[in-house]
Amino acid sequence: MIYSLRHRTAYAYAQPVDLAAHLLHLKPRALPGQRVISARLTCLPAPDHHTETHDHFGNPATRLFLAAPHTSFEVEAESLVDVEFAPPPPPEATPPWEAITAAAEGVETADFLPPTRLIPALAAATDYARPSFPPGRPVLAGLLDLNARIRRDFTFQAGVTSITTPIAEVMRTRRGVCQDFTQVMLAGMRGLGLPGRYVSGYIRTRPPPGQARRRGADQSHAWVSAWMGAGLGWVGLDPTNGIVVRDEHVVLAWGRDFADVSPLRGVLLGGGAHRLTVSVDLESLEDALPAR
Amino acid sequence: MPDTPWPVALFQDGPDEMVSGQGEIRAHWRGVVGVIGSLGRPAVAERGDRLTRAMLEEGVASILPGAAGGGAWRLDPVPLPLEPREFETLAEGIVQRARLLDTLLADLYGKQETLAAGLLPAPLVFGSPAFIRAARRGMGAPHRPLLHLYAVDLLRGADGRWAVLQDRTGIASGLGQLLENRRLLGAAMPEAMRTLLPRAITPFFDLWQEALSRLAPRHKPDPAVALLSPGTSDAHWFEHVVLSRELGCALVEPGDLTVRGGALYLKTLVGLQPVDVVLSRLNAMGLDPLDQPDSHAAAGVPGILDAARHGALTLLNAPGAALGEMPALPAFLPALCRHLLGEALHLPSLPTHWLRANEAPPPLPPGHAAWAFRPAGDGLAPESWTPAPGLPQAAIALPPLPVAPALEEGKLDPVPLVLRMFAISDGMNWQVLPGGLARHVSPGTRLTGRLPGAGWCKDVWVPADPGESIIGPAAQTAPPLAIRRTPAAIPSRVADNLFWLGRYVERLDRGARLLRATIARLRRGGLSPRELAELSALTLCLREAVLVDDEARVSAGSLTPLAEALMRGARPGVRDLHRRIGGLIEAVRDRLTADMHATFTQTLRAAEEALAAPLPDLQDLGRALIPSLRFANAVAGVAGENMVRGGARLFLELGRRMERAQAVAGEVAVALDGPPARIEAGLRLVLELCDSVITYRSRYLGVLQPAPALDLVLADGANPRGLAFQLQAIADALGEVSADPDDPGAAEAERLLAIAENITPRLLAARDQAQEAALLPPELRQIAQDLATLSDVVSRRYFALLPPARAVGVDMGEAAVIEA
Repeated sequence: MIYSLRHRTAYAYAQPVDLAAHLLHLKPRALPGQRVISARLTCLPAPDHHTETHDHFGNPATRLFLAAPHTSFEVEAESLVDVEFAPPPPPEATPPWEAITAAAEGVETADFLPPTRLIPALAAATDYARPSFPPGRPVLAGLLDLNARIRRDFTFQAGVTSITTPIAEVMRTRRGVCQDFTQVMLAGMRGLGLPGRYVSGYIRTRPPPGQARRRGADQSHAWVSAWMGAGLGWVGLDPTNGIVVRDEHVVLAWGRDFADVSPLRGVLLGGGAHRLTVSVDLESLEDALPAR
Repeated sequence: MPDTPWPVALFQDGPDEMVSGQGEIRAHWRGVVGVIGSLGRPAVAERGDRLTRAMLEEGVASILPGAAGGGAWRLDPVPLPLEPREFETLAEGIVQRARLLDTLLADLYGKQETLAAGLLPAPLVFGSPAFIRAARRGMGAPHRPLLHLYAVDLLRGADGRWAVLQDRTGIASGLGQLLENRRLLGAAMPEAMRTLLPRAITPFFDLWQEALSRLAPRHKPDPAVALLSPGTSDAHWFEHVVLSRELGCALVEPGDLTVRGGALYLKTLVGLQPVDVVLSRLNAMGLDPLDQPDSHAAAGVPGILDAARHGALTLLNAPGAALGEMPALPAFLPALCRHLLGEALHLPSLPTHWLRANEAPPPLPPGHAAWAFRPAGDGLAPESWTPAPGLPQAAIALPPLPVAPALEEGKLDPVPLVLRMFAISDGMNWQVLPGGLARHVSPGTRLTGRLPGAGWCKDVWVPADPGESIIGPAAQTAPPLAIRRTPAAIPSRVADNLFWLGRYVERLDRGARLLRATIARLRRGGLSPRELAELSALTLCLREAVLVDDEARVSAGSLTPLAEALMRGARPGVRDLHRRIGGLIEAVRDRLTADMHATFTQTLRAAEEALAAPLPDLQDLGRALIPSLRFANAVAGVAGENMVRGGARLFLELGRRMERAQAVAGEVAVALDGPPARIEAGLRLVLELCDSVITYRSRYLGVLQPAPALDLVLADGANPRGLAFQLQAIADALGEVSADPDDPGAAEAERLLAIAENITPRLLAARDQAQEAALLPPELRQIAQDLATLSDVVSRRYFALLPPARAVGVDMGEAAVIEA
C-alpha cells in the first residue's frame, strides 16, 4: 500500500523566541516491509543550521537550530511510503512465552525490558497482562489476546491524559489515547519479561472500504512492537485498534518509550506562552486516485 | 543500607605499607622515617598544624560556614612513598587498563560487537544510567579517544599486589587536591622533599595542557580550551578553579555557553568566542537538554552533543565515558582484554561478580574481609554491605585495607588508606602521574562512588630511583610546549559577579559607616536638637539600607526604639552582606591570585567572626563593625595594587563606584531634606558620612556653609568619597569596557556629572545658599534613580546571560488544535 503522508506542526509564540533547537523524528524509518520512496522536511523560518543523524535505535533524527528571533515556527513533513509488513506466523506456531522471556537478554532486546521514566515497573499493569499468558501459551497468542483486551477494556478519549499522566492513573481510569494504551501494554509485557518497543508513527486517515474509522487517525499514532524470539523477530500490535500492523500503519521511529522518539521536541530561549497546531494526513494513493 | 555496620574485618591485619612482615622498615620508607626522626615528633606535629592552617587560610576550606564548597580536605604531613619499581609496574598496568577501557567504550558507543559476541551482558550496559544513548553512533565509529583522563582506586589484593577497587572514566576528580597537596607539603616539609626527591608532577600537567590542545577538532592550531563546571555549588568547585588555572583554560558554566551554527561559543563581554575543546566536569546525563529529554531544560547546553557528534568540538572525557565505571564491569574485563587487545590483563580488579536481581553472592574468597555491594551499572553510587533487593548488583570482595602511618593528635599511628592514581592521554600515548592521592578511610566514610568533597588525605610520592635522572624519561621525550595565550575575554557571568562583588563590598562599607555614626550619637546621650535631626536622617538612611526595620524612629522623648531596632536588625543585615560577598569571592576565585584570595577570605572571616561573637550592647556592636570596614578597605587596596587594569578589575571598580554614587546621592538627599534653618545639621552629617570632615576643616577652618560643603561632597572631582569622582570613574570605566568613544552609558554618566558639577555655581549664585540647597533633594534622588537605570542598562548589555531555556514538545494527549 502506497501512502502519501503530510504532517504539519506549527508553533505560535506570545513573545519572540531568541534561540531554538528542535529534535525531530519525522522522517519514516526504512524497514523490511516499509520502503521510503521520498521524505522531505520544510521549515519556516528556515533553520540556520541543521543536521541529520541516526540515533542509538537506528531511527533517522533531524536537528534544527534557529538563531534569529522568531514568533512562529512551522515544520511540514511530507513523504511517500510503500508499506506491506509480512503477516505474522500462525500464533500456535510461535514459541511458548516463557521461552521468550528466557532468551530476552540479547543485544537486540535487552534495551526494551527495563523500566523507564515513562513506563515504570507497575504491578497493576503486570497483573492486568498476566491472564493473557497462562503457562505454555504460544507468545503471539498471548500478545494478540492482550492487544484485544486493551481495545475492549479501555476507553479512547482525547484530552483526559497528557504525556505527564502516569500509567498508574491510566490503569485506574481505563481512559486515554494511543500513547497511554501502548505504554500500558508495554508495562504489562515488560513486567512479565517480554521485550517490547514503543513505536511512533501514523495510521491511515480513511479506513479500508467498509470498515469503521480507525482511532488515532489524523494525528501522531503509537503502538507496540513485540518480540517473538530470535527466529521470528518482531510483530507490530496496535492496542488502540486491537489490530496487527500490516499495511495501515507507517513507522516513524521506535524506542523504549515516547521520550526516545517524540516526533518534535525543542528547547527554547524566550517565547513566553505558545500555541500549538498539528495536522496529520495519511492518504492511501488508491483513495486519492480515481477508481480504475 | 546506611544502618548496616562496617565490616570490622576490613580494619584488621591489613598490609602495612611501612613495616614488612618481619617487622623491618621497608627500604623505600627509610627516607621518610629518617626525616621524621631527625625533626622529632613535636616538630612534625607542628608542621601538621601548619598544613591545616594553610589549607584554611589559602582557601582550600570554604570561606564562611554555609558558603560554597562545603568542607575541606586535611593533609597529613607524612607522605606515602611508593616503591619506584612497584610504581613502574602499576603505571604499566594502568596504561593497559586505560587503553582497554577506551577501546571498549568505542565499541559500546559504536557497533557494540562485544555485546553481540556475549563478552559483556547487554542488560548490564543498557541498564546503566551512565549509558548515554544520545552519544551512541550506531552507524559509525565514535570519535577517539573517548577516554582522556583516567583514574583508578587501588587496594592491596589478597596476594599483596595492588588491585583495582574502582575505575574512574567519567569525571575522575582529585587532581586539584593532589596539586594543592604537593604544593603545601613541599612548603611544610622541605626536608622530606630534599631527602626523598619525589618525581615532579608538573610535567604531567604540562603534558595534560599540551594534550588538550592536541585533541582539538581537525587539529586546529591554538584552540580555545574551557573547563565546564556545574558552578560553585559543586563539591569539587575548588578543584575546577585550581585545574583551570593550572591548565590555562577558561572556567565556564553551562549558562556561559551557546551553540550557534553547529559550533560552540562562550558568551563574553566582547561577544561570542569560539570554544574548541571542553574538559567537562558535568555529569553527562545533564549535558544537553535537547538530546536528553529527562534532563532539566535550563541546565546543560542545548545542542552541545550534536556539535560534538559532528566534530565541531572535542568533549573530554567523551559524553558517556563514565560507562567504564560500571561496578560489575570488572567481572568481564579479563576476557574483554584478551578479545580487544589480545593481551592478558596486567592490573587486576578485586574479585567481582555480576549478580542478577536477588541472586546471592558466592562464598567469600580466602584472604578477603567482606563483600561490598554496588548497583551493577552505576559507578557513582557508593557501596553497601548488604545487596539491594530486586536490583542487579556488583559484589566486590574487599581485602583488609592497607595501612600507613599518619599523624593524629601528635602521634603516628597506622591508618587505613585507599590509593587513587591518574593517567592522561593525548590520543596516542598515555602518561601516568608519578604520585597520587591516598585517602584515609574510616568506618562511615564511603570507599567507592563519587570522591567526597572533603576528607583526610596523604600526598603520594614516587622517590627518584637512584639510578635514574631526576627529571625522568617522560619529560625528556615530551615535545617542547607551545606558547599559549589564554583567551583574554572575560565570560559575562564572571564580569557580572565582579560587578556585584564591587557593589556589595561598598554596600558593606556604607552600612558599617552609617551604623557606627548612629551608634556614636546614641551612646553620647543628652542630644541637642541638631544631633537629634542628624539621628533622624541617619535612621532614614539605615532604613533604606535595610539595616533597621520600620520601627526604628527618633523622637525627642525616647531613643529606645532606635537602639532596639539596631540591636535587632544590624547584625543579621551585615552578616547577610558577608554571606553574599563570600559567595561572590568563591565564584570569581579563578580571577584572583592566591594572595588576593587569602587576603579577602582572611579579612572577611575576621569580619564575620567579630559579628558572630556575643554582642550585649551597642558599644560592642559598634566595635564589632570595625573588621568589616577593614575588609572593605582591604578589597579596595588589594584590587588597586594587584589586579591588572582593565578586565576583571574594571568591573569590580564599576560596581563599587556605581554603588557609592547612588549611596552619596541618596544620603545627601536625606540629610538636606528639612527646613533650611536646620541645614547645618545636614551638612555636618554629609561631611561625616563622606569621610570629608578633615578635608573640609583644612580648607575652610571651622566655618560651615552650604556651597563649600556640598561642593566637596557632590561636585569636587578630586574627592574620592564624593559624587563627582564616582561619576567620572563610571564614565571612564564604561568608555574603557566598550572601547567606544561615544558609548551611550559613558555619555549618561557624563551628563549626570555635569549636573553634579553645576551645583556649586548654582549655590554660589543664590542669594540664600540654604534656600537653594533645600531644593537639591529631589534632584539628587533623580540622579540616584538615573544611576539605577544606568546600572540595569550595563547589566543587560554586558552581563545578561542567556535566559533559562525551556522544553516544548508535541504531546499526543495535549489538547492541540487538530485541523481537519
